[in-house]
Amino acid sequence: MSAYTALSQAGYRASVRDKTTLFFTFAFPLIFLVVFGLIFAGQALEDSGRTYISYTAPGVLSWGVGNAALFGIGFVLMQWRRDDLLRLIRMTPTSLPSVLASRYTLALGIGVVQAVLFVAVAMLPPFRLTLDSGWPLALPVLFLGITTFLTMGVIVGSIATTPEAVAAIANCVMVPMAFLSGSFLPMDMMPGWIQAVSWALPLRYFNDAISAALVGSGDMGDIAVGCAGLLAFTVVFGAIALKTFRWSNHS
Amino acid sequence: MSPTADPAGATAVELTDVRKSYGAKHAVDGVTLTVPRGEFFGLLGPNGAGKTTLVEIMEGLRKPDAGTVSVLGHQPARREKSLLPRLGVQTQSSAFFVRLTAREHLETVAALYGVAPDAVGTTLETVGLTAHAEVRVDDLSGGQRQRLAIASALVHEPELIFLDEPTAALDPQARRDLWQVLRDLKGAGRTIVYTTHHLDEAQELCDRVGIMVNGSITALDTPGRLIAAGTGNTRLLVPAARLPLDTARTLPGVETATVDGDMVVLVTTDSGTTLAEVAKVAGLEGVQTRTVSLEDVYLQLTGTA
Repeated sequence: MSAYTALSQAGYRASVRDKTTLFFTFAFPLIFLVVFGLIFAGQALEDSGRTYISYTAPGVLSWGVGNAALFGIGFVLMQWRRDDLLRLIRMTPTSLPSVLASRYTLALGIGVVQAVLFVAVAMLPPFRLTLDSGWPLALPVLFLGITTFLTMGVIVGSIATTPEAVAAIANCVMVPMAFLSGSFLPMDMMPGWIQAVSWALPLRYFNDAISAALVGSGDMGDIAVGCAGLLAFTVVFGAIALKTFRWSNHS
Repeated sequence: MSPTADPAGATAVELTDVRKSYGAKHAVDGVTLTVPRGEFFGLLGPNGAGKTTLVEIMEGLRKPDAGTVSVLGHQPARREKSLLPRLGVQTQSSAFFVRLTAREHLETVAALYGVAPDAVGTTLETVGLTAHAEVRVDDLSGGQRQRLAIASALVHEPELIFLDEPTAALDPQARRDLWQVLRDLKGAGRTIVYTTHHLDEAQELCDRVGIMVNGSITALDTPGRLIAAGTGNTRLLVPAARLPLDTARTLPGVETATVDGDMVVLVTTDSGTTLAEVAKVAGLEGVQTRTVSLEDVYLQLTGTA
């Protein structure tokens, strides 16, 4: 068994054996779907005529997937370093890319299951989300978005030394970003300067691209812009992640 | 000696004037040390003496500020893939993959070393964890976790094994069992470098010990020679009821006499003569003799005696 396979299997077992975390990972975005779905039931957006659900579902989905990717790797890295498991890994011939690849595979798996479950529930009455014919394009966008938020999670997991710090930092990043990037509320409702600021946030590109692919709120150009934005953020965060990565809490 | 002067590979670890500072603190302050292959080497010293830093430099986890380090002919800090599988490192008793069983954890470690999981069962057997193989690591007791951490250092059958206080959390029986495991490893030709606070254990197991104080190795020899070179004093314990302190002080050979509980403790440079006198004045019933142990030498050298 290769190190990559073994680490993926260990991570998979650790995930499925923690039923509480597993449940809430998948339930969290659904809770937001239900809450916003009920608040804005049957309402359409003024300008576009789109139903509110067609707006909020992709936004909540991309936020939920990004959130899980960031928190997941953040907690694991902090915990592995605190428990000295990273030291153990470092003493083996296993390369860091193998370690990261196994976590990447797990994050992609969790993100895909989250997305499928979320979209399936969103299509049910009373939400009645209808998918655009271009929905399969959401899959590569999803992978790219997970990659971006995973690199952010590596930074968080390298800075934080306690679970409390991971939660505090990650929440400070993800909750304001959700509102500023239009995940929960339409960007059109925001003041102009917030709309401008949103272009400096990765979630904005994730939202736009997922939305364009899933419900047809934009065209191929919007998906391309979204993907390009996510790619740029991945490069930047990836570089910072490599800089901040630490094998041990003791220098 | 440079690695090239050791073509037969008879040296496992070779340190030359190794130094490592953290700010103003000299954690390792000029250590020169050679551990031959097949040796059981014990590193002793008080907490904060620099033992862990020194071992971590040998493991390649820390880079020394100065000096040269050669481990099995390699520079460990380079983390060469050909060297790492030849080293076994006992991890902290927390370094486990969460929610895995002991067996699954060890299988994962084996895979990280790129070896087949065949050895997992025998390694669990070796450290006495077979009965707990299917227990989640989170549910293991302190001693069991420690044994699993040791197993993590052995599963890939390394040539050179680093153990950090391997018997610290073990009960007396488990400790004796582990002694046997360590003796067997040495018997199989492995080199063991280990730190411990148990001096009786070091005296029992080690071919050589180094005593580390304030970043330097202040004594380096076989336990037997260290003891012989240490104080020549023997302590005699005589029931206080039969030997008044004033009388005790006048006996030939006695350096000091003190009362400890219901015993008078005599420190003597000439145990034969003193013992003969004690026999005359107090009789030998209940008299105990304490010869020097590694512990006395250690306490003397570390300045805590």
